[in-house]
Amino acid sequence: MARYLTPSKIGLLALVELYTDAIVPTSSTIPILSFVLNQLLPNNLKSQHNDMAALQSLPFLIDLKAFETVLAPHPAASGLPGRSLWDHFLKKIWDIDSLDALHVFFARRPNLLAKSRDELKKDGEMGIPPPSEDMIMLSRTSPFGSFVRRSKVEFERLRFSDALALWTAFTKWRQGSKAYWSRRNGALGRWAGDSVLAQGEEEWGMEATEMLELVVFGGLDLEDTDEGCVSSDDIEKLLEFQVEQMQKIGSRIPTEIKDKFKGILDESIMVPSLSHYLNFLDAWRSGDYPTSFDNLHRYFDYTMQNRDRLFYQYALMNLAVLQADFGCYDEAVAAMLETISTARENKDNPCLNFALNWMYHFGKAHPNIIKGTDSTNMLGIEREGLAFLRIKAKETGMWTLWSSSLLSEAKLGMSNGESVATIFENLLKSSHLIVDKNIKSMMGPQVAMYSALWARLGVTQLSRQYGDVFLSCHARYALFDDTLRLTGRIAHLLAEKGHYDHAMEKLESLDENALRSWKVNQYWLKYRGILRLKRDLHRNDLDGAGQLLSQLLQSNGPDSDSDLSFEINTLHIDYLIRRTDYGRAMARIEHLASSMKEDGDDINLRIKLLTMKALLQDKCGRPQKGFSVAVRAASIAWRARLIPALWGAMAVLANILASLSEFKASAQILNSVLPRALECENCSLNAQLFSFLVNAYMGMAGQAKDSLKRKENLTKCLDFIDRAFNEYSALEDIKGQCEMMAKKATIMRVVGEKVLANDYASAYLALKKESTLVV
Amino acid sequence: MPLNERETAHLRAALQGAVVKCSERCLYQSAKWAAELLTSIQSSDTSSEPEDSQMTEVPLEGLPPIVVTGNIDPEEAQLEAREINQYLLAKSLFDCREYDRCAAVFLPDTVLSGILSTATPKNQTTSTPKGKGKGKASSTRTSSTGMFKAPRLSQKSLFLALYAKFMSGEKKKDEDSEMVMGPHDGGNTINKQLVTIARFLEGWFAERESENGHATGSQGWLEYLYGMVLAKDKNEEEAMRWLIRSVHLYSFNWGCWMEMTSLISRVEDLNRMSTHLPQNILSFIFHLHTSLELYQSTPTLANSLSQLLTIFPTSPFLLTCLALLAYHTKDFVTADAHFSNLLSLHPHRLDSLDHYSNILYVMNLRPKLSFLAHLCSSVDKFRPESCVVIGNYYSLLSSHEKAVQYFRRALTLDRTCLSAWTLMGHEYVELKNTHAAIESYRRAVDVNRRDYRAWYGLGQTYEVLEMHAYALWYYKRAAGLRPWDGKMWMAVGSCLQKMGRDLEGIKALKRALLADTYYDAGVGNSFGSGGRERGGTMDPEILLQIAGMYERLEDDVEARAYMEMCVAQEEGAADNLEASIINIHSDSQSSDEESRPGAGTGGGDSGAGTGVTAATSKARMWLAKHAMRTGDYTRAMQLATELCQDGVEVEEAKALVREVRVRLEGGGDQ
Repeated sequence: MARYLTPSKIGLLALVELYTDAIVPTSSTIPILSFVLNQLLPNNLKSQHNDMAALQSLPFLIDLKAFETVLAPHPAASGLPGRSLWDHFLKKIWDIDSLDALHVFFARRPNLLAKSRDELKKDGEMGIPPPSEDMIMLSRTSPFGSFVRRSKVEFERLRFSDALALWTAFTKWRQGSKAYWSRRNGALGRWAGDSVLAQGEEEWGMEATEMLELVVFGGLDLEDTDEGCVSSDDIEKLLEFQVEQMQKIGSRIPTEIKDKFKGILDESIMVPSLSHYLNFLDAWRSGDYPTSFDNLHRYFDYTMQNRDRLFYQYALMNLAVLQADFGCYDEAVAAMLETISTARENKDNPCLNFALNWMYHFGKAHPNIIKGTDSTNMLGIEREGLAFLRIKAKETGMWTLWSSSLLSEAKLGMSNGESVATIFENLLKSSHLIVDKNIKSMMGPQVAMYSALWARLGVTQLSRQYGDVFLSCHARYALFDDTLRLTGRIAHLLAEKGHYDHAMEKLESLDENALRSWKVNQYWLKYRGILRLKRDLHRNDLDGAGQLLSQLLQSNGPDSDSDLSFEINTLHIDYLIRRTDYGRAMARIEHLASSMKEDGDDINLRIKLLTMKALLQDKCGRPQKGFSVAVRAASIAWRARLIPALWGAMAVLANILASLSEFKASAQILNSVLPRALECENCSLNAQLFSFLVNAYMGMAGQAKDSLKRKENLTKCLDFIDRAFNEYSALEDIKGQCEMMAKKATIMRVVGEKVLANDYASAYLALKKESTLVV
Repeated sequence: MPLNERETAHLRAALQGAVVKCSERCLYQSAKWAAELLTSIQSSDTSSEPEDSQMTEVPLEGLPPIVVTGNIDPEEAQLEAREINQYLLAKSLFDCREYDRCAAVFLPDTVLSGILSTATPKNQTTSTPKGKGKGKASSTRTSSTGMFKAPRLSQKSLFLALYAKFMSGEKKKDEDSEMVMGPHDGGNTINKQLVTIARFLEGWFAERESENGHATGSQGWLEYLYGMVLAKDKNEEEAMRWLIRSVHLYSFNWGCWMEMTSLISRVEDLNRMSTHLPQNILSFIFHLHTSLELYQSTPTLANSLSQLLTIFPTSPFLLTCLALLAYHTKDFVTADAHFSNLLSLHPHRLDSLDHYSNILYVMNLRPKLSFLAHLCSSVDKFRPESCVVIGNYYSLLSSHEKAVQYFRRALTLDRTCLSAWTLMGHEYVELKNTHAAIESYRRAVDVNRRDYRAWYGLGQTYEVLEMHAYALWYYKRAAGLRPWDGKMWMAVGSCLQKMGRDLEGIKALKRALLADTYYDAGVGNSFGSGGRERGGTMDPEILLQIAGMYERLEDDVEARAYMEMCVAQEEGAADNLEASIINIHSDSQSSDEESRPGAGTGGGDSGAGTGVTAATSKARMWLAKHAMRTGDYTRAMQLATELCQDGVEVEEAKALVREVRVRLEGGGDQ
């Protein structure tokens, strides 16, 4: 395989020559130049212009067709009228009519370059006049100039056989334009493009010439390979691009591209070591850990020697991350600690900062493992560690790390239930940094944080909007992980409103290729499972739910996502409650609470647990027992401004008050809470609040002395029952619906409306029947 | 020399036999050569089927056996029959290039070491057997006669075994040699098996020697091997004797002839030894080939070549000879045409394409040379010929480092690749690495003493180093090899001139003049190509040089005559040329050959001159000044104005004109 030069590079050189020949008219200069530059510049330097969109669609390895599409529409500035640039271009490439002409072609390349002062002086001595001012000369250091010079040098260092390979590949490459070219130029001979064969035909005759051609060009291999059309330079570029994409977006290589890659790499003798890295990434993403270990070690074995030991820490870092993913936390921590010390030794600040950042997050996720190692002296206490990281990041100009440490601080504040203002401050700082430095990759965490914050503050609308904004604007440049998480959050919100189908749709619409990555796929599958589990629970399809739950619980190991595992646990408890297995539910709650206390987990979750415990007491018929729990939950939630949780706690409190026959107080609380709670758009909370309110009014009706007041309360009851019923039916919660129906029927009977009572009772039965039918 | 049916059939059968016999003995190149020749015999007619069967009946019954031939000698035949299985094993091993194992099939190492240890160190050929036999008897286990005791083997097996030993030695030699032109590459690694083989063969021949000094019943192959071994040992006289004996016994072994060619370094040697050779078609071809190797290009040679071509009309070997013949006469166009034709007939044949690349190089046909390089590289990248062609191409592109690299590769593949050594020398000269250049030229000459280019290159290099005495020596060698090449004589002449030996220098340069006209007109005409005939114009440079030397010798008349002649070359017209040549003749006292150019050039002169060159301008200037000195102002005036017109050294010419005008006017006044 060629190192650098390919037929398409010759084409580009010819195009550059066309440009310097001033054949390109002024109007078409920009498209032509941008076409060439697009091929020459490395990927990360390219700006995303709108007019580049057309160029983006070009194949990576440009063939003749690509040249034609670019060149054919432009007329030439000189020469015969009616000739396009494409004709001029063809003339250039068909003028290379022998191997020698190819050598001459490359030998002539320096003529395109502006002469240095020394050369001008030398020319002056030789009597060669300096080039005129109006000629287009390429500066030696311009992208074009360096391309021309590099091509020249690369051609010179080719061995003869490589030059031959280039020549044969070139003849094959331009073959496609032969028909057009010969039509334009009158009939061309059989041997157009090879002057020696054309001359030889007169001497040798047709047959012998053909034979010679076969011998020389080796026409015996039948397959139409594009051998020689790909250089290792191209491959390296391609690999770099791919690795970058994989690291940036976090997806795997699409299958069809993988096959192509394999084909190209098989051809080359020198396999770039980067390809091992690519394999490593792919294997890692696909969850094939043995292969990924293998490939990672292979990559570093091959790179170690030519890049010295300077990169040792990066090897360790990759290894640590991989180990962590693999579940070998102890090894991961050990490797990362070594990374840190090596990075310190080598004064590699970026690496050190990254490693520390990783360590911090790892510590957050797996506190019990970090505890084992004496790493506390490394980063100090959490907050100090973060501050340290932030300062370091600022010093070394690592904007990503800086903003991520700010976000971490915000998150820390959030989970500890600290001042909302401080959290906002951190978020704003980070946001400023992201916008200022154009760190597109950090947009995901930033938006996720915003969305979470608004959700905690009870403004679900805003929270959802942030998610939508991210998905429609930033998802393209962000890690797929972020996309998935935010999609999950939106789906969750939708499910809370009872739009199960819509939520499911959202999840289904994710990029299929990106989902091939193992971890992502697991997350996605779990999320879908959770959604279905919720629906089943609400529909009272307990058998189906049990089945789903057993699967989800199985995969709810320590390495799974903490948010998800909490969600699964809550649903488990819900399931147990619906099964009326209160004892086990209680045990489960206790277990969760104790493990949470150990880890110092998110305050929001703790409140949720407390609320759940209080509710459970209520279910057991001993609501008063949950009083202290509920009060604690409410006070914590109030302090931390966790609004939805606060309303939940308040609901429980109100219920307890109702059980103590303090109906008025209960109704008061509920009446004041309800409008705010409706903002949260959480149907189950609303339904619960409404049903508690019904209870409170019912109680008040019972306490009422005069019938008027009683009637009034009963009407209010009916009203709220309807609303609760509506919320329950939005959730498709059959049990709740039935309860409401039963209450309604009872009220009707109390009021004396027998017919209506009968109607509601039959509606209740119908609902029951329906639910059994669904099951 | 057309042959009749019967003779053709004989020839064909003999060649068939040769192919089989050579390949039986693993002489692949000889077999290839014979087979090429065999297929190039024109089959008599379309109706050759029945005739063929008649023809083949003559020497052999039916078809020639492909695997093994029978032997006419009954004793040998019996031996061969007995050894057939071992023989087949040995041959397969040889084909797999396991030489030592192959040799050990027939001659286990114990036998060979026995010979080595007991043989007397003296290198005698006739009187040793008895003494050696005695020594031998003590060491070997059997002691039947006390004579040289070799295992009783057929000659074929013996040849194969010893040849395998020889090849193994060559292989080891190649492996032991250092990198080409590396610090330790003295070119003096030797084949360590030579002594063993020589001793063994010595003994073998001595054992069977009859009164007339020939081994009885020998079939020629072992003699060939012995000759080859002796030649490697630089014992050339003796080697030649054995080789001649071999071709007498079996003449269809082309390898043997090739060995002889490489031993002949002068035409005289060739002529002297040709009386000892058997008279058959092979010796005819040998004569032709060797003459070509010695850069001969006489009409007789051309004649004999065309005769051979009537028998073997499509033989690539002979076509190559044809092209080389044209090349040696500097008729590049014809040579190119011949090679080109050869290429179209045998596109996969790489042999001697390196010569073709030299021709294309000289003609500066870059596209064609690139195509040739492409072809060679596609057929086989790792043949010395391919590497030389590629090297030549790079040299033409002025990438001398790369050229050197490829020549080196050629030499790594085959250290005896003569042209690569020479060409590498040229490249080193271009790279101004005179030390390396001298070394590689020296190696070229060591490989083959007939390479005039290497000698010439050596001379040139020493001239660059301003060591004229050395340069002269080498130039003389080159001129001796190519007496009809003006360039050589010119080099000799200018060298002599620089050493201040003007008289000799003049002589040499005059020869150069003659030689030029000889090739240009004489030979060119005789081949009827006439492509690059320059009509017998002489090189004005040389004329100027001669004139200059005469001037230094203070022979004004001669100097002036030569200056006139030099100027006359501008027109190159026939009449003054005639005069000038006569002028030379009257002057020269050298041999009779010099009458030829006059006759040659007399004919079809196109009258195309060289035009104004630096040399003629200088000559004109000299003449003008001379005319001034002698007072011939009108002439001086005429010459000076001509100079002004020519546009060379205008200033000086104008000054001259002014001066002449002054003088003329002054003269008029007086």
